[in-house]
Amino acid sequence: MAPGCSRIQMSGGTYWLLTPSGQRADGGYVDDTLVSRADERGLLGRLHRAGKFPRQRVEVVRNVADEQTINETYYRRGWTDGLPVVAPTLERIEPLLQTVRAGRAEVLAELDPLRGQASVEKVAANAVMAGCEPEHFPVLLNAVRAIAAPEFNLRGVQTTDENVTPVLIYSGPNAAALEINDSFGALGPGWRGGAAIGRALRLVMQNIGGGWPAAVSLAGLAQPARIGLCFAEREDGNPWNALRVDEGFAPDDDTLTVMRAETVINVTGGLTELASVIGSSASAFSMAYGGEVAVVLSPYTARQLDARGFSKADVQRWLHAHGRMPQAVFEEQWLKREIVAAGRWPDWLTAVPTGSPLPVVERPENIRVIVSGGDLPIAQQAYLPTWGFPPCWLTRRIEF
Amino acid sequence: MLRVSAVAEQAGIPSASLVCEGFIGQASTTAAGLGLPNLPLARLAGHVDTQSMDALTEDVRTQTVADVIENLLGEQSVAAVTNEPSPGDVVFNGSFEEVNRFFYENGWSDGLPLIPPTRERIDRFLQFTDSAPDADLGTVLPDNRRLTPMVVAANGVMAGCRPEYMPILEALARAMANPDYGVEHSGNTPGAETLITLNGPLIRELEFNFEQGALRDGFQANTTVGRFWRLLLLNGAGFRLHHNDKGTYGNTFRVVLAENEAVLDEIGWPALATDRGAARGQNAVTIARFTGGDVLASAYGTTAEEILPYLADGLAKQHGWELVFTAGLAVGTLCPMLILSPVLARTIARSGYSRDDVKQYLYQHARVPANAFERYIGEWTNLVPGRRTLNELVAEGRGPAVLAESDAPDRLVPIVARPEDFMLAVSGDPLRTNAYVFAHNGMLGYPVTQTIALPDNWASLRRSG
Repeated sequence: MAPGCSRIQMSGGTYWLLTPSGQRADGGYVDDTLVSRADERGLLGRLHRAGKFPRQRVEVVRNVADEQTINETYYRRGWTDGLPVVAPTLERIEPLLQTVRAGRAEVLAELDPLRGQASVEKVAANAVMAGCEPEHFPVLLNAVRAIAAPEFNLRGVQTTDENVTPVLIYSGPNAAALEINDSFGALGPGWRGGAAIGRALRLVMQNIGGGWPAAVSLAGLAQPARIGLCFAEREDGNPWNALRVDEGFAPDDDTLTVMRAETVINVTGGLTELASVIGSSASAFSMAYGGEVAVVLSPYTARQLDARGFSKADVQRWLHAHGRMPQAVFEEQWLKREIVAAGRWPDWLTAVPTGSPLPVVERPENIRVIVSGGDLPIAQQAYLPTWGFPPCWLTRRIEF
Repeated sequence: MLRVSAVAEQAGIPSASLVCEGFIGQASTTAAGLGLPNLPLARLAGHVDTQSMDALTEDVRTQTVADVIENLLGEQSVAAVTNEPSPGDVVFNGSFEEVNRFFYENGWSDGLPLIPPTRERIDRFLQFTDSAPDADLGTVLPDNRRLTPMVVAANGVMAGCRPEYMPILEALARAMANPDYGVEHSGNTPGAETLITLNGPLIRELEFNFEQGALRDGFQANTTVGRFWRLLLLNGAGFRLHHNDKGTYGNTFRVVLAENEAVLDEIGWPALATDRGAARGQNAVTIARFTGGDVLASAYGTTAEEILPYLADGLAKQHGWELVFTAGLAVGTLCPMLILSPVLARTIARSGYSRDDVKQYLYQHARVPANAFERYIGEWTNLVPGRRTLNELVAEGRGPAVLAESDAPDRLVPIVARPEDFMLAVSGDPLRTNAYVFAHNGMLGYPVTQTIALPDNWASLRRSG
């Protein structure tokens, strides 16, 4: 900022907007490619302003009655998830930048598939659009670094016809302060932190990485968690070690875990019911490629298990032993019949003796156990199967 | 090196370019400017100079080799097109403060307030050239953008130039695009800065400072034309800090140096531009890129023989790693500059020295021990790997023969290949016995002299202005 120029100049319907879409190292914008893809897919009726924006870091919009005008423009440019966004003005972005050590121009990663550069300020623009408060920004940066890690396979997630999405699991003492829900309705709406961080990550993938739905991202159905899903592990009422402690971090650390989830399946009941869902067609892709799946246990269920002498590892072993698919059922699976040739199943699957039921992941520890949700004796659990290669369970400490 | 890869790719030969991690962004940007934005790059982790051989081998084995294979065998995606505003487009309407904020936020500013380049102001500048607004003044890397009088005028307005500086600005754009200069190197890590030297009657007519404080900001002409150069590097060539301008430190822009031509006439020395081939009395700019400079204060003596040893010593001391542009990297491209105050120039001339005599003297006396030369380019910097001696380099054709006249390790050798490689100028406080020396950046900013064309109606324009 030039000395003497105030950043506070928002009156009179003038908006100084930081362009949220991805710019590649060569200077081109991901939109340059996306316009062609959107055209090929017949999307330009809806996105009739795709690619129509000044190729500048900052765009100034004047004389608009309200932010709805900007929102409409952004929607037609393909920069939203369909819901209203908050206009990413420089004034709104600035407080987010103050929460992290990285400089505004620092490029965290080039995001697949179109290699847009996720600079700190560009991520911040998408964070503002999604409704993030400044304190949420370090968590979002952590998530962006995670999805850029090779293990996450962002190119695959962004372009596959499957419905996979990153799911963010927060473990740490600051979850409540950040308003990331770990209790009733943890996987649902209502808490700003979880809602905005999850949504912001999706906008980053869409706008910076270029994963426009139906243009580049060709998931057949997608899933509600693609709007965004970020929830917290239960801080109280968890009888076992916190997730972060299992992953080697200190109890007073805050961590974020990123997994690739094909979907989120509700399971009412206990381990037996979970096992029946785990050992089903829902797990087809981890049987094909291996990987990391997760179960979310209610605190009530976890404490009951603990009282019966089950450690977290015991739960994992039990689910691995019982969440299996009978060979006859496996032989009839679509994936088995249509897609994966006989010789290409993982060794740990083909090593199972004929006639024995098949595990859905290689080892018990590949079934991750998280305690979250409302504390009530009607047991509600969830199963999160995975998709893709390589195995992905990325936990990183959050730097505040 | 990317330019070699680009040529190979254009000839249909797959390439892989090994690039240290810190340079990937610069490489991608450079590649885009070469018209091959997806030129395949193979990443080397960290900086190879700071790694042990084992660590380097491991990194190359685990990552770089895979990149190379992918580079050579993979399918390259097609080039993207980035839309830029068309020449003459109005990109913004707003107050002075808003324009400045807008230009700053979009990376078109040097951080100081700019004069908004309105159509009216640009048109006024364009009156001071006979070139068409869209005339081709040359194309410059890394953005591969064509410089035109329109672009020149816009940046001149922004820099605070007066319209009548336009002929100088246009000449500077042509000089920037001259391949001898090598503008594409302007983002290199040593971060040298260009010095513009002006010769001709325009010095007085446009009120350039050529006396006391000649290299300091304070005079509109010297200061704003110097600033214009930096803005044209930014907005014309496309060198942006934290992107492809990788100068480790860099420097502020240098104000224009104007020679004291009255003193030159008096002592019978040609002006710098004349020395470099321009006609006597011709308006001309000379550009060259210098890594740094120093003042040589209080040169004491009443004869050339008393004064020159100190100046020769100062020139030699100013050059260290830059000697690689005399031998090793780019043979015979080092052109150091010595600026004499008028009183020093008069004293030296009175001793019977022509400009060429001074250069000859400097060639004989601005010398360093051969083993020091070798340390600068070899042992201490590895700019020339393999600890080769000057004699070996000369034998390989990578240095002038004068560097290998004996085997004595401490023999004195010149810092340049030829006497004429020294550049001399006369400027500064007429009565101070101080001089200034600049260390040159060799082929990465080789001297280029460009004559200045005035419009046919210059005289009437000046009267009406």
